[in-house]
Amino acid sequence: MTQILLKNFEVEGLTTLKVYEKLGGYKSLKKAFSMKPEEVLNEVKNSGLRGRGGAGFPTGLKWSFLAKDSFPRYFACNADESEPGTCKDRILLEKNPHLLIEGLIVSSYACLIETGYIYFRGEFQDVADLMDEAIAEAYKKGYLGKNILGSGFNFDLYTHLGAGAYICGEESALLNSLTGMRGEPRSKPPFPAVQGLYDKPTVINNVETVCVVPWIVNEGSEAYKKLGTEKSTGTKLVSVSGHVNKPANVEIEMGTPVSKIIEMCGGMRNGNKLKAFIPGGSSVPMLGIEHIDVAYDYESLKEAGSMLGSGALIVMDETTNIVEATMRLAYFYMHESCGKCTPCREGTRWLYQMLGEVLNRRGSPETIKTLQDACDNMAMKTFCPLADAAVAPVVSSIDLFPEDYKSFFAEAAATAG
Amino acid sequence: MEKETVTLTIDGKTATVPKGTNVVDAAKSVGIEIPIFCYHEKMLRLGCCRMCLVEVEKMPKLMTACTIDATEGMVVKNDTPKVVKGRQGVLEFTLLNHPLDCPVCDKGGECPLQDNTFNYGAGDTRMEFKRFNNVKKKELSPVITLDRERCIACQRCTTYSEVIEGDQALVMHNRGFHNDIGTFNDQPYDTRFSGNVVDICPVGALTNSIFRFQARTWDLDNAKTLCAHCGCNCNIEFGARENELMRVVSRQNDAVDDGWICDKGRFGYEFVSSKNRILEPGIRKDGEMNVASLDEACDETVSKLKTIIEEHGPKSVGFIGSPFASNEELYLYQKLMRLGVGTNNIDHKSYDDTPGLPVAHYDFTDIESSDLTVLIASDPTEELPILDLRIKKAVTRLNRNLIVLNDQKTLMDKYASLSLRYNVGSDGVALAGLAGAIADSLKQGEAPKVEKLEKTTGIKPNSFKDFAEKMIAAKKVCVIYNPAALTGNSVAIVKNLLSVLNQKPEGECGAIPAAPATNALGAMDMGILPDFYPGGVSLSDDSKIKEVWGESAPTEKGFTTCEMFEKAASGDLKALVVFRSNPIVDFPGGDKIEEALKKVEFLVAHDMLHTETTALAHVVIPSVGPGFDEGTTTNIGGRVQYRRKGLKAESFPDWRVLAKLLSGFEIEAKYLDSFTVTAELAKKVSGYEEIRRGSIQKEGKTRPAQASVNGKTPEVTSPDSIDGFKLRVSEKLFAKDKILESESALAHHFSEPKAILNSVDAKKLGIKSGDRVKVSSGNRGLSVEAEVEDSCNPGAVVVSNAGDEYRVLALIQDHNATVQVSKE
Repeated sequence: MTQILLKNFEVEGLTTLKVYEKLGGYKSLKKAFSMKPEEVLNEVKNSGLRGRGGAGFPTGLKWSFLAKDSFPRYFACNADESEPGTCKDRILLEKNPHLLIEGLIVSSYACLIETGYIYFRGEFQDVADLMDEAIAEAYKKGYLGKNILGSGFNFDLYTHLGAGAYICGEESALLNSLTGMRGEPRSKPPFPAVQGLYDKPTVINNVETVCVVPWIVNEGSEAYKKLGTEKSTGTKLVSVSGHVNKPANVEIEMGTPVSKIIEMCGGMRNGNKLKAFIPGGSSVPMLGIEHIDVAYDYESLKEAGSMLGSGALIVMDETTNIVEATMRLAYFYMHESCGKCTPCREGTRWLYQMLGEVLNRRGSPETIKTLQDACDNMAMKTFCPLADAAVAPVVSSIDLFPEDYKSFFAEAAATAG
Repeated sequence: MEKETVTLTIDGKTATVPKGTNVVDAAKSVGIEIPIFCYHEKMLRLGCCRMCLVEVEKMPKLMTACTIDATEGMVVKNDTPKVVKGRQGVLEFTLLNHPLDCPVCDKGGECPLQDNTFNYGAGDTRMEFKRFNNVKKKELSPVITLDRERCIACQRCTTYSEVIEGDQALVMHNRGFHNDIGTFNDQPYDTRFSGNVVDICPVGALTNSIFRFQARTWDLDNAKTLCAHCGCNCNIEFGARENELMRVVSRQNDAVDDGWICDKGRFGYEFVSSKNRILEPGIRKDGEMNVASLDEACDETVSKLKTIIEEHGPKSVGFIGSPFASNEELYLYQKLMRLGVGTNNIDHKSYDDTPGLPVAHYDFTDIESSDLTVLIASDPTEELPILDLRIKKAVTRLNRNLIVLNDQKTLMDKYASLSLRYNVGSDGVALAGLAGAIADSLKQGEAPKVEKLEKTTGIKPNSFKDFAEKMIAAKKVCVIYNPAALTGNSVAIVKNLLSVLNQKPEGECGAIPAAPATNALGAMDMGILPDFYPGGVSLSDDSKIKEVWGESAPTEKGFTTCEMFEKAASGDLKALVVFRSNPIVDFPGGDKIEEALKKVEFLVAHDMLHTETTALAHVVIPSVGPGFDEGTTTNIGGRVQYRRKGLKAESFPDWRVLAKLLSGFEIEAKYLDSFTVTAELAKKVSGYEEIRRGSIQKEGKTRPAQASVNGKTPEVTSPDSIDGFKLRVSEKLFAKDKILESESALAHHFSEPKAILNSVDAKKLGIKSGDRVKVSSGNRGLSVEAEVEDSCNPGAVVVSNAGDEYRVLALIQDHNATVQVSKE
């Protein structure tokens, strides 16, 4: 299987510039600089690369939305990986920091950007330290700074640590946080491509997305399109967690069946039966065993009623208490709601309270009805998609496993009787 | 320029609104209410509360009407089942943890949360858990208390602090369910405009600490009146219960206050029930003040004045009026003095000023439309706070430019694109130089000798040209000057500068004479001047005076206040009537004034509160003052507004006192109320023809600008070089004076005066910040803390007028305001 992201991961010293260069690192710069910026942009556009952060928006198209003739522009690389189950960016940052730097240089060249920021989640102090070292090496070697490799292109790169808030992975909240403001999403429009960081046109891309760019430049967009499916091109890093034998980050070609991915991770724990899985991080609806063979790509997962999201496959076997698992997720969203808008701030807490009520055997069919209706009152009515994410596991778990919920009422009745 | 418009339909109604209007405001324009909590028309669109959900055709999900612009052809639905359910959901969430302590909540009865729940709520909640308990009383400052439980985290207040006040003092802490409004390090939220958060809070979370739990809002008798603290004349509502003032809230008038008031206007109204109020008239007999009836006091006044006139002539009587009183009161007083006594010894101020402007008289809204505003000697933050907010709005939100020209540092400097600091006392030279630079740029005069000017004024040579170019390049220039902070004949020089600027071939310009006092402009208009009759009629306009005021109207120039005190000291001025003025403290050189007043044979003080001046008076007559009085005032923008009565006074209204005095002088005075006086002055005072109760009821009415009397180019005199420091007295919004006494709710703002020294001078004297220094002149000395900051140029010292007790103005004993500064 073609490896784009996890290539050379076993090589010792990959984090150092010397080893990275020896393995062909920073090669794409030369090629990119021999092309016009818009040619690089078109190459990425043509590759069909889609944002790996969660929304899956076509990357080249996003770049082409930058407000014309408005400079300076900024690149904000989203390394605020906080989605439960997701740890793909962390491994890229930890094991191959120069790949991201290379990707940022080439992407910024394509977008006529001379300043970039990597926004790390607050807990990534060690990763950011590592990145600072790598950036220093790159500056020393002339890959960053003025007139890179004599191309006339200048690019400065900075790292920034957030204060540990999930919401800062949302692009406009990230920009607020990056400028020292409260991490709360901004009203859109204006979109960041028009008015982003410091009110200037800004590109915000996920770490994984940027890491793919050097390969596309080196090998060409056609080669990339050969991988994956027609609409979901290339490969994808999937963070597999939960009840598998060997939880791991695996790189798969888009379209690989979920069952195959589980197999790649050593199959189900203790040979247990699969009960449910969340295919794309905690913010997407869960799917049941009937979807075990669904192809892992944007379109197929959507068709199945879920989303690819950030690419975190959470596997739950038959021993799982679905209500408890859902409540765990509800706790996360309650904890992470920024509090800016009412339905999310109040609703996430209420959902958590009601799920607790069920789990404590005090629930009734009425509780479920209220839960569902509260979810409906939250969904698509909030400022940003955090509330949509919060209701996804609740709604889907009730839909898929009504019996699990009922079992708590039954016991409630039994205890009462 | 016509603004582009868009047409949309809301619930089938067609609305055409300017491009950029949001859907909430578009709906409002056709009478459709879209419920809101967080949106406020004067602030950013937040989209926090989600209350304004509407359905928009072609959009898959419900949209918040506050965050989306109305677009051409947009179809908005405000009452579909989807919308109704969405809003019910939002309200249910909003109320989940709200305490619903409406029975004891100050907001009850005027609460948007109550109203929206009533109109759009589901009628019941499904919340069955114990609601979240939180702090019920968190004192953000001595005047603002937060009930954390009631807060719905709409962010209006924090946005207000960031956008309108511009200092981010009040911020949101923590996140999600635990978010909490507060300040950095729990410092008090004690800005000059903090009280507005109480008005804009859509629930009872931010409360007025003084009004808290004092009354139900529906029990209040609300009078739509005006604030009487400064020349802005902001619109307020005076809420009284059983004739006791309970609270003051703002009453939006975009032409004046944009919906905001300062904390002095909101919390500084304790003087209406001050122990220091004069409640009964008094007549001094054998050195003792005896209570008298109003008739007795008036009779005494009339007979004594008549005797003195008979013996010494009308020129031996003088009148000092008040720039804080209403037009009606001032009009009647000048009528009494001119027609009754027969003198022009009438004045109200200690500085030189004349009515009229050579350019248009601009109003507050002109500041927004001017691409350049110029502040001359004005410190709006301390003197006219609402002007401060308007300028901030123009600069920070409308991308207008500001030039500051002053002899001291002000908080407006940071908003200025050019900030010029002239030496204290050199204002005349600086302004004449700048006028010269404009004339030079317009090729209408000789280039000023800027190097020489730098020596006198401290302004860098190239700044003159820079200033002139900016003035000429701007399409619309608004010049705001404070006549009270200018010395000598500088007001005339400012007017000359305006005339020069008016010569520029393109663009327009206007000015706002921004004297800090409440009705300073009204006092000028009402002719409380020794050389002008009401309406800016000069004494030289003999025929006009005779036509309006009769053959016996005096046309000889009267004494200015300064001259009156001199004449009193020399024994030439025998009688003085002082109306709502305390020159001993409020005029420069108080000690000499005090000595002079002691020599006056007959001193009448007509005032609201006991002062150093009333203590010397032979007859004291109570004046009811703001809160109790009724009449009109003219703000700095020339807008005449209606000051309604909020409380019933026990003593007589001032117009009735005046009517008695006028009758005593055999002048017909059959007034029924203050509006009959207004009707009379409308006939007599040019510019006030249109002023009637009806015409000024709502927003007031701008009186037409008066043209200034065309004089010669004013003479410019260089400041004297002195032995010592020039004293610049800076005004304080929250000064401990008669109005804000020590028990005031705003007492936490009081500070001791400070002597601010330039670092150059401080080094010479070996003074550091925090040292005690003595600022002295003659037999007056003031021990204060020194602050070393380059507020003024070397050679001067800035001392803040922090309160009556310090008698800072008494340090001014010569026309240069020379003082000595020494380390203690």
